[in-house]
Amino acid sequence: MSLDIQNVSKIFPGPRQGFFGRGEGFTALDDVSLSIRKGASFGLVGESGSGKTTLTRCILRLESLSAGNILFDGSDIHKLTPLQMRRLRSRLQIVFQDPYASLDPRMTVHDIVAEPLVIHGDVVNMTASRRTERVMELLLQVGLRSEHLFRYPHEFSGGQRQRIGIARALAVNPEFLILDEPTSALDVSVQADVLNLLHRLQVELGLTYFFISHDLGVIRYICDDVAVIYRGRVVEQGPVAAIFDNPQSDYTRMLLDAMPDPDPDRSPFRKIAAV
Amino acid sequence: MALLDIKNLNLAMRSYEGETQILHGIDLKIERGEIWGMVGETGSGKSLTGLSVSRLIASPPGRYLAGSIEFQGRDVLKATDKEMRMLRGRHIGMIFQDPTTNLNPAFRIGTQLVDVALHAGHADPSVLGLGAGASRGDFKKAAKRVAVEMLEKVGIPKAADRIDDYPHQFSGGMRQRVLIAMAMIGKPDLLIADEPTTALDVSVQAQILRLIHDLVAERNIGVLLITHNLGIVAQICSHVAVMFRGRILEAGKVNDVLKRPSHSYTQALLNSVPTVHTKRGELMGLSGAMRETSA
Ligand SMILES: Nc1ncnc2c1ncn2[C@@H]1O[C@H](COP(=O)(O)OP(=O)(O)OP(=O)(O)O)[C@@H](O)[C@H]1O
Ligand SMILES: Nc1ncnc2c1ncn2[C@@H]1O[C@H](COP(=O)(O)OP(=O)(O)OP(=O)(O)O)[C@@H](O)[C@H]1O
Ligand SMILES: [Mg+2]
Ligand SMILES: [Mg+2]
Repeated sequence: MSLDIQNVSKIFPGPRQGFFGRGEGFTALDDVSLSIRKGASFGLVGESGSGKTTLTRCILRLESLSAGNILFDGSDIHKLTPLQMRRLRSRLQIVFQDPYASLDPRMTVHDIVAEPLVIHGDVVNMTASRRTERVMELLLQVGLRSEHLFRYPHEFSGGQRQRIGIARALAVNPEFLILDEPTSALDVSVQADVLNLLHRLQVELGLTYFFISHDLGVIRYICDDVAVIYRGRVVEQGPVAAIFDNPQSDYTRMLLDAMPDPDPDRSPFRKIAAV
Repeated sequence: MALLDIKNLNLAMRSYEGETQILHGIDLKIERGEIWGMVGETGSGKSLTGLSVSRLIASPPGRYLAGSIEFQGRDVLKATDKEMRMLRGRHIGMIFQDPTTNLNPAFRIGTQLVDVALHAGHADPSVLGLGAGASRGDFKKAAKRVAVEMLEKVGIPKAADRIDDYPHQFSGGMRQRVLIAMAMIGKPDLLIADEPTTALDVSVQAQILRLIHDLVAERNIGVLLITHNLGIVAQICSHVAVMFRGRILEAGKVNDVLKRPSHSYTQALLNSVPTVHTKRGELMGLSGAMRETSA
């Protein structure tokens, strides 16, 4: 599945003023164009608050567009009928940014992961026991265990919840995955496993990824192409190696310089610390 | 007397299958001026350790099997609820990993920050720059001023204009910065920060690290920084503890632990950080063998 984002803008309405008026709107996305190739991983990095999550919400049609088009395999998603949109959603899944807010606290892990299989039952068509098997298989893939099956989200750590979100997104064998900071709560060794799992699925099944992360090391590892976004505008995009080795914009250079180095000797703070 | 002295902490949590022991004898001592990093496996008990210090684990499901947590010489596990309310928000500042515990979606960002500032101010008016005889009006005004100042310090642009926004109007990283502001408003002696910068871009992250660093330098506070980011630990922490399955595997000065790890798990973590040269698919996770034997 390929995705074309063409000149997309999103302006949030300003605060209400009096009965009819509104203050100045807030431009979260300003003329953004990206093109994500089928079977590739596209990374999006950028300032916090620069519109990354808003863009994913536009792709899922959770937000209207103020301007521009979003095309999946050439067809405009904001023109799809509800039925067509539902079909599309079975091929397009998302791992949400916040592992605390995105899991329903009243559902067990089993039901959370099985939910997309039920919602898209007309496409997936599994018996209840087959669904449970599938859920088990997914939990194992992301490094959780069968004993976790009937627990509720609040009984899990941040990283465990994040993996539940990933398992849910993979449940229906989607073709396209939007991953909004999918490994931010994982320790680096589990992160390595998850990244390798995503890579393997991509090789085996030809998945396409839209991968948002603040971790430039992760983006470099998993992505083919990358776009850098700042204040709602794309400041540069291209192949990962080209952008990271030879950044053209000041903002990208600043990001690369601000990456914390895992070598203690290269800390700007070291002077004071008790070493 | 250490600022914080956790001794032989053993915690069990009750869940669907019954009670499981989560923390197995945690020992950790933090002096003023020290920034302790805590890294380790997801689910190893880092957050529950941090929450224990503010005594925020309800019982049930939690139960302490043994141990003590001395803050300035007093065991918080034995303190009264009233004493705990004094400690929280004033002497112990806490940035939660779960933003939903501290941000109420129904109230404006500003209102929530002002509440925290007022709470701290009533415990100690000097936090708001006030004397003992200040009036209610003074408190309100000062709390609002401090709230805006803190939001600016954590890098929310045009903070004064955004103070009336609701949490859903903030991005993930902006919400996280509100939590950081909340924890710092009371000028605590001990700051517990649980994954404080996961939703932040690296430049805002650097700004927050600078803020924490300056707070330690100026006010000689102690910090427990829970993070998965070994880069952050290397940059800002003086010490680090490595957790695995409810135990601290090794702890010590950052340079010693990161440069000469004595435990293979620590080494495995260091190997799992993707670098410029790692080829896709070749990143080392924790080997399957290690996952099994340590389970
Ligand atoms: N419903 C809304 N109403 C008004 N403004 C909004 C709304 N949702 C988001 N915004 C604003 O749009 C901007 C972009 O937010 P978005 O969540 O897309 O950022 P982001 O790039 O995902 O940031 P982060 O890295 O922190 O998650 C922010 O300034 C935010 O305050
Ligand atoms: N309310 C609860 N009931 C039962 N078990 C719980 C509860 N909260 C946490 N646990 C379990 O306790 C263990 C430790 O959880 P904790 O949140 O401290 O992990 P963590 O080290 O902070 O992990 P992460 O890095 O993923 O945030 C986990 O295995 C989790 O499943
Ligand atoms: Mg976001
Ligand atoms: Mg945690």
